[in-house]
Parts: sequence; C-alpha cells; structure tokens
Amino acid sequence: MKKVGIPRALLYYKFSEMWTTFFKELGTEAVVSPKTTKQIKFDSVKNAPDEDCYSTKLYFGHVLALKDQVDYLFIPRFGSDHHTYVGCPKFIGLAEVLRSQIPDLPEIIMPHYNKAKSGHRKIAFFRKAYKVGLKFTKNPIKIIRAIIKAVKAQKNHYKTILIDEETLHKWERSETILNEPPRYVENERQLKIALVGHSYVLNDPYSALGIRTSLQEHGVDFITSEQMPRNLIDKQMDKLDYDLYFLYEREILGAIMHFMESKTVDGIIHLMIFSCGPDSIAGEVAARLSKRDPIVPLLQLVFDELTAEAGMKTRIEAFIDMLRRSEDEQTLLLTTKVHI
Amino acid sequence: MPLGFPYLGTFTHVMESIARGMNRDDLILPNEPTYRTKQLGSRHASEFVCTPFKIILGSLLEVIERGATQVIGTVHVDFCRLGYYAPLWKLILEDLGYTGDIICLNWFDKPDFFRNFKKLTGDLNAIQAFQAFRIGWIKNRYFDLVEKLLYSYGATEISKGSAKAVADKLNRTIVHTMGERNVRKLPRLIKETFKEEVEVDEKADPLKVIIMGELYAVIEPAINLYVMRKLNDLGVVAYTPITFRRWIDLGYRLNFFKRKQHDIAIKKAKPYLGHRLGGKARESIGCTIYYKEKGWDGLIHLYPFTCMPEIISRSILPQVSKDYDMPVLSLVVDEHTGEAGFQTRVEAFVDLLERKRNENDKNKVK
Ligand code: SF4
Ligand code: SF4
Repeated sequence: MKKVGIPRALLYYKFSEMWTTFFKELGTEAVVSPKTTKQIKFDSVKNAPDEDCYSTKLYFGHVLALKDQVDYLFIPRFGSDHHTYVGCPKFIGLAEVLRSQIPDLPEIIMPHYNKAKSGHRKIAFFRKAYKVGLKFTKNPIKIIRAIIKAVKAQKNHYKTILIDEETLHKWERSETILNEPPRYVENERQLKIALVGHSYVLNDPYSALGIRTSLQEHGVDFITSEQMPRNLIDKQMDKLDYDLYFLYEREILGAIMHFMESKTVDGIIHLMIFSCGPDSIAGEVAARLSKRDPIVPLLQLVFDELTAEAGMKTRIEAFIDMLRRSEDEQTLLLTTKVHI
Repeated sequence: MPLGFPYLGTFTHVMESIARGMNRDDLILPNEPTYRTKQLGSRHASEFVCTPFKIILGSLLEVIERGATQVIGTVHVDFCRLGYYAPLWKLILEDLGYTGDIICLNWFDKPDFFRNFKKLTGDLNAIQAFQAFRIGWIKNRYFDLVEKLLYSYGATEISKGSAKAVADKLNRTIVHTMGERNVRKLPRLIKETFKEEVEVDEKADPLKVIIMGELYAVIEPAINLYVMRKLNDLGVVAYTPITFRRWIDLGYRLNFFKRKQHDIAIKKAKPYLGHRLGGKARESIGCTIYYKEKGWDGLIHLYPFTCMPEIISRSILPQVSKDYDMPVLSLVVDEHTGEAGFQTRVEAFVDLLERKRNENDKNKVK
C-alpha cells in the first residue's frame, strides 16, 4: 500500500478530516506526522528560513519527520475557498519552497486551489481532486466516491466544531461548556474567556505553549474563535469601514469584536505569531477598536519560537489575577500587548 | 482643502502631475522620508507590520503636520497587506485626532471609486479628469526613462553627481510640461539632455546589476538606503524593471501586441513558483532567469522584514541562482537597517561579480 504523508501543521488543522478520508478511501495509507515535539521544533528552527513565521517553520519540522517514511507528501497549494477572501500567501508557496530547500524529499502532491484569485469553482476542485486520485487508482468510481466522502467528512467536521447562535448564548449564560471543563478553584469565581487565534496555534498544544491546559487549571471556561458561529462573524465584519479580506483573520477579529460588543466574557486573549503578516493587521485593528471601547480587557500575546512555556504561564496567571481582582475593585483595565 | 499624499519614490512626481493636471494646485508635496519619518511611522504602527507601512504612514503624518486635510490611499483585495494599508491608516489617524478627509480609492467598488475620484478632481468633468489621468500614466513612462538613464549614466559619469542633477532637472520639466503634444516630445529631450550634459568615461565597461523585490523596497531609496546610487558609486550600472506602470498605465496594459516583460518573467518562473501569491514573488524569480539570458551580471533582491510573498521567493532564489549560474544577493531591509553592514554586503557582492567576470574572461582567452 502506498503511503501518503500529511504534515500535522498549518491547514491540516482545518482540513484534516477531508484529507485523511480522501486518501483512505483511495486505498492508500494516510500517514499524519506526530504531534509537535521538542525534536520537531528543533528541526524546524534549524531548517526553515530565518524570517519565516513560527507556524510555517513548524511545517518544516513535520515534513522532515515524515520524509523517510512515506512515498508521497501531500502539501496542497491552497489560496482560498471563498470567492473574495484569501488565505495567507505562505499556504500557496510552501510546497515549492520545501521542494527547493530540502533535497531528497519524496514526490510532493501539490494541487493548487484558489477560489478567490484564480476563480476556481466546484468543478475545478473536483477536477483537481480527481487528478490526485489518478495517481493511486485507475478506477473512476473509487475516486469519485472518495471525493464525495471526503467532502462529507469535512462538512461533518465543520458541524462538530462550529456552534450555532443558540449554543453560544447558552455558553454565555454558563449553561454549557464547549471545551475542556475548567477545574474548580475554591473561593474563586469561574471566569469566562474568549481565546482567539489561528486554528493551527489553538489546536497545537506545543505551539500554543499549553495555553488551553493553563486556562483549564485556573478554572477558566473558554471559547475559541474557531467555534464562533459564522453569521455572527460576518455581521461583525460588516461593521468595519472596509472589508477585511484575510479569510482566517476574519474569524479572529470577528470573535474579538463580538465579545467586545456583547461583553459576555471577562476577557479576551489573542494569540499572535510574531512576524505573521495577517496577524499584524488584524491585531492592530483589534487593539485600536478595543482602546475605543475598553470594557472587556484584551490581552494580545505575541510569541514565536524563542518564547518559553514559563513565560506564557506567568502572563496568563497575571491576566487571570487581574480579571479576578477587577471584579472586586472595579478597576478600569486596558488593552495590553506583550511580547513573551 | 490642501491635498497630500505620501512619498513613493519617483512615483511621487506622477501623483503630482496627475493632481496638477486636475487643476489641484493646493498640494502639500511630501518630502523624501528621513530618519524622523521612519521614527514617526514606527511609533504609531504595530511593530511587526511590514516596513513600507510604517514609512508611508510616517510620510503621511508629515504632510498632515504641514497642513494637508485631504489625503489619498488605496484599498484592494490581495494576498498581502498592501490592500489593507489605508483602512488601518484611517483608524490610526482618527485615533490621533485627525479630522480631515481620507480618501480610499477602491477600484473594485466602482461607484465608490468614482464618487471618491470626483472629490479629488476639483471642477473638472469626467472626460477632462480621465485625460489628466492619462497624461499622468504617459508621464510615468518618462519618469521611468529618466530613472533608467540616471542609473546607467551614473555608473560611468566623470564628475560625480552630474547625472543626478540632470535627472532632478528633467523630472521637474516633466511635471510642468502641459499638453499632450509637448509631453510626447519629452523622450527625445530626455535622451539628448543626458547625452549632452553628463560626461561619461567611454572606455569603461561597467558591470550590470538588476534590482528586484518588493515594490516599495525597490522604488523608495529611503528604505533601500539608496542601493542603486551605491552601486553607481561602485561603478556598476543598476536597473529595475519594477515601476507603478503595470497598475496605472492602462495604455500599456491594453496593448496586446507588446509582449510584456512581466508576463515573460512569470512564465520563466513557472517551474519554481507556479501560482500567484501576491507581491513580486514570481517576477523576482522570473527576472533572475530573464536577465541572466540578457547578459546581466547579477541580481539584488530586496524585501522588507516580515514581507510574506518575498520570503517565499527569497527561499527559492538560491536554487534558481545555482541552476542558472546567476549571482543573487538577497537583502532584507527595514527601518533599522544599518548603513555600514548594508554597504559591506553590497561591496562584497560587487567584488564577487568582478571576480566572476575576470574568470570568465580568462577562460575565453584560453
Ligand atoms: S497566516 Fe500568519 S502565522 Fe499563518 S502562515 Fe501566514 S504568516 Fe504564518
Ligand atoms: S508585499 Fe510584503 S512588504 Fe509589501 S505590503 Fe505585502 S507583505 Fe508588506
């Protein structure tokens, strides 16, 4: 059985279901790289271009972890799946950068899909997926079935992570929990926090320096930007004078703006990757808007590969302390942006 | 309402020409960015936004300080941040208490574009405004020509600075030339003036270096520390195919008979970088090959710190350079780039090119 390697980084965290299902249905073995470890990070930092963002660097490590075990690597060149909004340029360039930077890689399967700029539609998606399928089987029925199943799997995945407005309101009223259940902390009020950032940061404990567990430990009930109902995000984005066109950044800024307006959380934590292009824009907009309406404190944590987990922990603790104190003392909190 | 716009290399002259053509004489012209400009911009921008944003913001703040109450920016959808510069400026300026007009031209929203454009044109009707715009893009070609000649004469001029003086004079002439007939006569005048007024060393056989990279990093000397002039001082001819022409020169864009250098470059880049991803990533790669074939000696690739598309091309360029035997020097520039280190690297690169040429000559003699 042929083995196809899928690096567990960047867009994997969005499209994992679709990709793994597709390759399984084609009768191949989809090998996903292990969760980020110290070794993977070490390899990443050593081999990736210096100026790249941390998330992209991690991709290098995952590719290196896979390269000797698989026959193919699957690194799609993904522009966007929305008719106007775009992803990050790095998603498109990665496959070719890797090919040129790391010698002796297995063959890279790199379909290009870009709805926004190249005008690809459903049919193009189908055609491209079909072409990938032909590499593994000549049986058209098998390929078509694989594509359908993959798309379905992805839809189901969205259904499980995205919540609807009703669930959101329930969460806001503390009637349900959406993520890891917060630990009970004696004599302390349970806090509610919105944790926003890229999917590949939020869901990779190593990259996010264990923030989810820290929050849980401190008795914080949180929601992530990834889970936010899409219609609310779009509604918030319409309030901007100019449409923000970075697909995944909309989710982040939209979540921040929603909670700034609804004031249903105690605080917002925004995870920003240092030297991330889209983050620098959305982060600035968020900071400016938050200064204009500073009731819900916004903490922007800027970090990269040099940041130590301990640094993250102290920051989180300080922020949580501040939120708990503010409840009694009614102090006015300000937006803070810190490099850790 | 005095109109202001940020400094953008020689494109500043084009903006001035268009504005004057539209009967706008209440202009506050931007000055070349200085150390203060960079400081001013960095202070008010988020710290890891790309450098062009900071410097242009600084320049904008300076024209506002000097009294502009109407400033222009552009909005569009692209892979990189450029399209969202203006909305962000708007937020920043508002926070700073600026109450004037910020006109964001958005080509993708046609009604909005024309409504905004109208605000700029003073008392002209649509046709006159379009004509002013057209003259602007024609003049853009001639500013490019001046630039090209400047950095080619500059390499071999006998008295240092003479080419620059001629270029400055000609740029003023172009701005103030009115009427299409007169404008059309400009190229001859430009070529002749350079020939007559700049004395060059006829025997010299200078090295030739192409400058590529991110748009702003290439066209704005303040951010690239006058790299083209530096090359000239080392006796090297410098040229950059990057200009604003591709955007504003509709005449050129719609001319199907001309094979556009930019399309050729993109085709050549295809094996290395197949798809559009913003910035000048593909052109940078394609031009390395294109100019190698045309006999140029080397290429300097400039990109601002944290620039997304150019980091991609920067990572692929070493391979292209090896495959085609074309020396490439990638330089990252930002508001903190130090003069000394930069100069050393450029000098070392020129040395390398010289050595390479000598070796080739030797091989030929054998
Ligand atoms: S969006 Fe930001 S973090 Fe993600 S790949 Fe692009 S630059 Fe890196
Ligand atoms: S091309 Fe690079 S420097 Fe220019 S706006 Fe885009 S990200 Fe910034």
